[in-house]
Amino acid sequence: MKKNILLVIIAVVACAMTSYAQGRKGLCINEVMVQNDSSSIIDEYGLYHAWVELFNSTHAPMEISSVFLTNDPNVPKKYPVPLGDVKTEIPSRQHVIFWADNEPNKGTFHLSFQLEAGKDNWIGIYDADGITLIDSVTVPANLASNTTWARIADGETGWEVRDGSEAKYITPSSNNIIVDTNGKVDMFAEKDANGFVLTLMAMAIVFSALLVLSICFYIISKTGEKISKINKLKAQGIAPEEVAKGEKINDSGEEIAAIAMALHEHLNAHDQENTILTINKVKRAYSPWSSKIYGLRELPRR
Amino acid sequence: MGEQSLSEFMLQNLQHFWDLTGFNNATWEHFVMLAVGMFFLWLAIKKNFEPMLLVPIGFGILIGNIPFAAGTEVGIYEEGTVLNILYNGVSAGWYPPLIFLGIGAMTDFTALIANPKLMLVGAAAQFGIFGAYMVALALGFAPDQAGAIAIIGGADGPTAIFLSSKLAPNLMGAIAVSAYSYMALVPVIQPPIMRLLTTKKERVIKMKPARAVSQNEKIIFPIVGLLLTCFVVPTALPLLGMLFFGNLLRECGVTTRLAKTASNALTDIVTILLGMTVGASTQASEFLTAETIGIFALGFMAFIIASTSGVLFVKLFNLVLPKSKKLNPLIGNAGVSAVPMSARISNNLGLEYDPSNYLLMHAMGPNVAGVIGSATAAGVLLAFLA
Repeated sequence: MKKNILLVIIAVVACAMTSYAQGRKGLCINEVMVQNDSSSIIDEYGLYHAWVELFNSTHAPMEISSVFLTNDPNVPKKYPVPLGDVKTEIPSRQHVIFWADNEPNKGTFHLSFQLEAGKDNWIGIYDADGITLIDSVTVPANLASNTTWARIADGETGWEVRDGSEAKYITPSSNNIIVDTNGKVDMFAEKDANGFVLTLMAMAIVFSALLVLSICFYIISKTGEKISKINKLKAQGIAPEEVAKGEKINDSGEEIAAIAMALHEHLNAHDQENTILTINKVKRAYSPWSSKIYGLRELPRR
Repeated sequence: MGEQSLSEFMLQNLQHFWDLTGFNNATWEHFVMLAVGMFFLWLAIKKNFEPMLLVPIGFGILIGNIPFAAGTEVGIYEEGTVLNILYNGVSAGWYPPLIFLGIGAMTDFTALIANPKLMLVGAAAQFGIFGAYMVALALGFAPDQAGAIAIIGGADGPTAIFLSSKLAPNLMGAIAVSAYSYMALVPVIQPPIMRLLTTKKERVIKMKPARAVSQNEKIIFPIVGLLLTCFVVPTALPLLGMLFFGNLLRECGVTTRLAKTASNALTDIVTILLGMTVGASTQASEFLTAETIGIFALGFMAFIIASTSGVLFVKLFNLVLPKSKKLNPLIGNAGVSAVPMSARISNNLGLEYDPSNYLLMHAMGPNVAGVIGSATAAGVLLAFLA
């Protein structure tokens, strides 16, 4: 009974953990354009519309069908992302754009609401239950035409206005900071050209990891030895305190072997063999798969 | 269609067939690589140098260097081909963790648990990796490439493949072949270094026999080992996680069947696929470059530095150890993780100087510590450079 209860508890905990792991906590609003008059981005019908960019900040693909997008916190289920569209799975660290054109019949990525220029625009994403708010942002009313309200870096907390200039480029469906080199490698190439610093750090880490492991096992072995000694004494009916006061109990394998050999020599003890040879037939189940007759040839033996 | 046109048609098709044949597409580089493949097979079959690795790699080199016309969808680098699908385990880096699962299920960590200070010898030998990293930088390799090449010094083929697939995928073929070649050549490379760095007196040091290790300690080891090492270097989790998992399967006593599968059938299957595809990835066009020669030279040097630092560390360590607990420096070379080859070398050399001095079990300590050490070092390089 107890075992069954334990199994049920484990199953419930595992299910809870799995559902948590599958949550959409990593989904976020990444960049928003409220007035899209003549920017370079148009929808698949060739029209200019306001757009909302979502970003999957996790390192695993994320299925977003059945989450809700809304511009009204009182109506959280305004636009449900439809099921059955393969494009609703956002790859790891990638983006997807929704058009705020109030024309949901145009396709999965066309929202059922519009954003209003000159007003604060609140946008939120709710999970499939329509209650859990995953992310929200309030786009300021003074956002100019063809500019965006964007996170400074993908998925990070800071926001800024982007006007399309060289320093503040607009990045629909793309990373807000475009990185074309491996920063770490460049840094090591510049600051540690001869590799001495990395060598020093890496050796220190490897050494300390193994040192900690070795200390840990030293302690475990000492504790284990102590416990097994106490258990042995208990089995022999000797109280551990008596041993602490009295003589040392020695059970090293070497000493036992030496005593055994000495006894063997002293008693001139030899094993007596009965010198009877018995031959028994070995029975093996026959199988054509292992039959030599059906084999093409034996494997060469070296 | 007259007789003339029929012969023309046949000629045209034969011409097309000729265009596809290896004879038409062969270059001198192909023949060089085919010779390299045959040399590997000769080393494995005739000289018995790591045949389990060199036969698949050598034959893989032959497979990968059969000349063919581009676009015939047979090459290892052409997407969707059979070889390309099998190569995914190498390029995406999931063969090495499976090999580590098998290594864990095969490895007895008793020697290390009985004498935990031997772990430091395994750590010291990893200087081969970082020494080679510095030299690779001096030769003009970028830091990520230098890290991928330097891991050869860990003497651990799966780790080398795992790391190079992340840091320098374009150099992976050369790095893998170099790592496995030098692992096979451990019996040739290490003994002269060991003789050079030790005195006759040191070579006959007898170490105290290892204490008995309880089953509980053996079960605790993979769990504590995983937690401690992977908390420090989570980037090594695919390797260390599988290594310790395999070891727990072996030691816990209730999963014998799983441990047997992991250490026999699974390891054999993955070794076959890994060796063959690594060999096949050495297509002449990708492999025969000046960089490859540099990688082989650096790999050789990394092995020498690793073996040297292991032996020297033991000598240094002996300065602080009491007389009764001194270590034989001949076990220092085993800090590289070529299991169990380098431990066997320690033993053979020890027996050469004192026929009653069996060092095998003592050398297995640093040897298996080397496996943990090289995987940790790979994790550190990955954390810094990826």
